[in-house]
Amino acid sequence: MTFLLQMIVSGLLSGAVYALMALAVVVIYKSSSIFNFAHGSMVAFAAFLMWSLIVQFELPLLAALPLYVGCLFLVGYLIQRLIIQPLTGQPLMAAVMATIALGDVFAGIITLIWPGPGRTLPHVFSSKTLHLGPAVMSSEGLINFSICVLAFLAFFIFFQKTRIGLAMRGTAEDHALAQSEGIRVSWIFVVSWIVAILLAAVGGILMSSLYGVNSAPLHGLGMKSLAVVILGGLESIPGAIIGGLLIGLIESVGAGYLDPYVGGGLNDLMPFVVILLVLIFKPYGLFGYERIERM
Amino acid sequence: MFKKPCGTFDEAYEKDTAMVRTPFRWVMLALLFALMFLVFPFVAGAYLLDVANNIGITIIAVLGLQILVGFTGLISLGHAAFMAAGAYTSAMLSEHLGWPFYATMPLAALVSGLLGMLVSLPALRIRGFYIAVSTVAAHYIILWFILHGGDLTMGTSGLTAHEISMGGFVFDSEFSMYYVIMGLTVLVVFLLTNLMRTKIGRAMLAVRDNDLAAEFMGINVFRTKVLAFFLSSVCAGMAGALLAHYQGLITVDQFTLIDSIWFLGMLIIGGPTIIGAIFGAIFLRLLSQLVLFMAPFIGGIFPAFSGTAVSGFTQIFFGLVIILFLVFEPRGLAHRWQITLSTFRLWPFKTPLG
Repeated sequence: MTFLLQMIVSGLLSGAVYALMALAVVVIYKSSSIFNFAHGSMVAFAAFLMWSLIVQFELPLLAALPLYVGCLFLVGYLIQRLIIQPLTGQPLMAAVMATIALGDVFAGIITLIWPGPGRTLPHVFSSKTLHLGPAVMSSEGLINFSICVLAFLAFFIFFQKTRIGLAMRGTAEDHALAQSEGIRVSWIFVVSWIVAILLAAVGGILMSSLYGVNSAPLHGLGMKSLAVVILGGLESIPGAIIGGLLIGLIESVGAGYLDPYVGGGLNDLMPFVVILLVLIFKPYGLFGYERIERM
Repeated sequence: MFKKPCGTFDEAYEKDTAMVRTPFRWVMLALLFALMFLVFPFVAGAYLLDVANNIGITIIAVLGLQILVGFTGLISLGHAAFMAAGAYTSAMLSEHLGWPFYATMPLAALVSGLLGMLVSLPALRIRGFYIAVSTVAAHYIILWFILHGGDLTMGTSGLTAHEISMGGFVFDSEFSMYYVIMGLTVLVVFLLTNLMRTKIGRAMLAVRDNDLAAEFMGINVFRTKVLAFFLSSVCAGMAGALLAHYQGLITVDQFTLIDSIWFLGMLIIGGPTIIGAIFGAIFLRLLSQLVLFMAPFIGGIFPAFSGTAVSGFTQIFFGLVIILFLVFEPRGLAHRWQITLSTFRLWPFKTPLG
């Protein structure tokens, strides 16, 4: 029982971060129907950028953060304006292909600028071991979890209460209708890319506090959020959160119980098995909009 | 697209269905084969032959992907993993059981093809890029099993594959492998060209253009998609088996998601035809050789970027090339080729394609 509880706690802790990263994919998909395959590389890129600012250039945290956010704004803007915008009017597949190629560019930038082995971000908070009943967790995990919750809240307020959020929701419903209401749809796309890269960055930084700033694991973790998105449903924001927690649980509990029989590493496999199963049995996910189509 | 030169008339049904339609094309084809099999291998050194062999293997893999992407309109990001499945199947059969190449390669292709069919099952209920997501999942699953295969796949240290030998003759040099690889490449090109002239191939094109309409015409869309996945993975498995026995040692690192992206990039650059896939494969492989040549210069100009810079630079460069092609020439090199051809054919009149 203790073991199960332990697995559930650690699953929820990592699941929250998956959910946050999955939100990034959902935001872009909702506004522009483009599935962002570059997500994994974007997560890794954002984490490395943070490392550069804080460790390499030794900026104090308060100076680094505005600069960091500014850089991400610029990157999100450039992606939309230079790559996605020119592809408007072409088949959607072209834009999806472009995000695939974009992931390649990001991966290349990482190997070019930050070569060699992984790096570590400094600890902002001291690491202690906390006890939750019989289960054990690190204070860092709890802080990560709270940061995720805060980020969710910030996103919800932004999405539900602000004018831009309203415009984004309108755009998600219908592009032409939103345009006729005076919303600049192309500008909303820019905003959704910026929001997405910010969310990816928070996820990447939280993940790298656990795994170090490493290209391959971060990329893999970003790819795992594909599983979250598929499970939760592509258009659903609550789906991303619930899906994230579920994937975290499945991964942690499944790996905890089955790892001894197969020799470890199952938590890297689980999310992708989930993808295949969900796609076969419930293709639009738990909360996705079920399109009724002839197949 | 397929305008015949002036004065070419089909007077019989056989002429109309012929693959090579004019004597001029026969001559060009014969010249190409002579160049490929009689001139090039004797002129080129080991290095050039190695490049050519890699291009040949890539062409087989990319043609497989073309069935999916260009002809059926699906995206696969798991092509490198299917290649890995083929490579490891063939290598395991030859390493552990000592089977000869002509037995292991078809089996490798079959295993890879069946895996492809399994991945395509979601196509029963969904369409579009969902399939691409399922292939990403397949990529990670297949590579996970290879990595955790223990003594069967040798995990991270890599699996050795025996050289191809047939009737006492061992294909151990670039020169001899060139004939094996190019022979198979020509075979695959021929079979695929023919496939696209059959009922199955046309069903694929119909599914690509409008699957709803295709279904109304009596085409079984699901079966067509699964078949496309099967054939595509068979090609990938073949290419993987060739790669395994050509290199003698395969590791998991040779089959990454980036490789799958490259294959897609070759198709984008080439365009949605068979000749397009060939162009794309040759173009990107030669470009990567060029980057390798340029690497010392780049390292000289930006000393901070030397070392692992080459791979990083290559990735950025190719990502940008793919994006540029998507934005500025979505029809690919094949379209440029058609323009060139029709310019010659219709001279002195203007070509309508440009």
